[in-house]
Amino acid sequence: MKLALDQGKIHHEMQLLEKVVEKRDSDIQQLQKQLKEAEHILATAVYQAKEKLKSIEKARKGAISSEEIIKYSHRISASNAVCAPLTWVPGDPRRPYPTDLEMRSGWLGQMNNPSTNGVNGHLPGDALAAGRLPDVLAPQYPWQSSDMSMNMLPPNHSNDFMLEPPGHNKENEDDVEVMSTDSSSSSSDSD
Amino acid sequence: MQVRDDTGNRLRFQLELEFVQCLANPNYLNFLAQRGYFKDKAFVNYLKYLLYWKEPEYAKYLKYPQCLHMLELLQYEHFRKELVNAQCAKFIDEQQILHWQHYSRKRMRLQQALAEQQQQNNTSVK
Repeated sequence: MKLALDQGKIHHEMQLLEKVVEKRDSDIQQLQKQLKEAEHILATAVYQAKEKLKSIEKARKGAISSEEIIKYSHRISASNAVCAPLTWVPGDPRRPYPTDLEMRSGWLGQMNNPSTNGVNGHLPGDALAAGRLPDVLAPQYPWQSSDMSMNMLPPNHSNDFMLEPPGHNKENEDDVEVMSTDSSSSSSDSD
Repeated sequence: MQVRDDTGNRLRFQLELEFVQCLANPNYLNFLAQRGYFKDKAFVNYLKYLLYWKEPEYAKYLKYPQCLHMLELLQYEHFRKELVNAQCAKFIDEQQILHWQHYSRKRMRLQQALAEQQQQNNTSVK
């Protein structure tokens, strides 16, 4: 009899303890959920902060004065290089790229025609070659930017473009000369 | 010696500036393609070398910045092959001109809309 009573008591205690354990379990699970949520929020915040830092770094690297941007945008817009003139109609020879005439009148075209003094006198480029060009016409084609580029030098490159890794030998003007030789003869016109 | 090198470099700068901008002309690209320049490995390497014009300190000298887009496309063999066709060059030319007219058309539309609005305001005031 006494044994049965003891067993009953112990069983009762066991039930109480089980309830306590259950409660503790649910508390732990609750805490786990909250920790997981917090981790997620923090991870998102850290990721966004890293992206922000990346874009700040990128902006700092490419920093250009607003004045320079305005000057450049004025330059390319005023010359109708990126925006058509308002009076443009089909048949107008102006184009968003250098035309045949401009190409032949430039330095590349002139390199091939050193002795055409007065042959095509109406072209300003040839007048330049003949040395008869007045100062006001000198920057006829600002795309050559003769005055702006005087302090600018191109990067070094190898003599022979057949080699994959570029060396630092003398400049290669042969390629350029070959091209200008052919470009000054009739280029294909689809106009 | 130093002076001559500088002059040579300056000339090379001018020439490369001109040449890279010529690449904006699709007819010229068609011309180069038909004469087999795009098959020459040295020329292709030269086109790769010209990519330095994308750097801001060089790009600011370009009057025709669209040449940089053409230069990027020219790095792909498929594009170089396609340029042999005159139709391809013509298509690019037409699209370029249409795009070139985009801003002036937009501006004209805005001006028209503004003029219409003003007209409406005038009639409503009366």
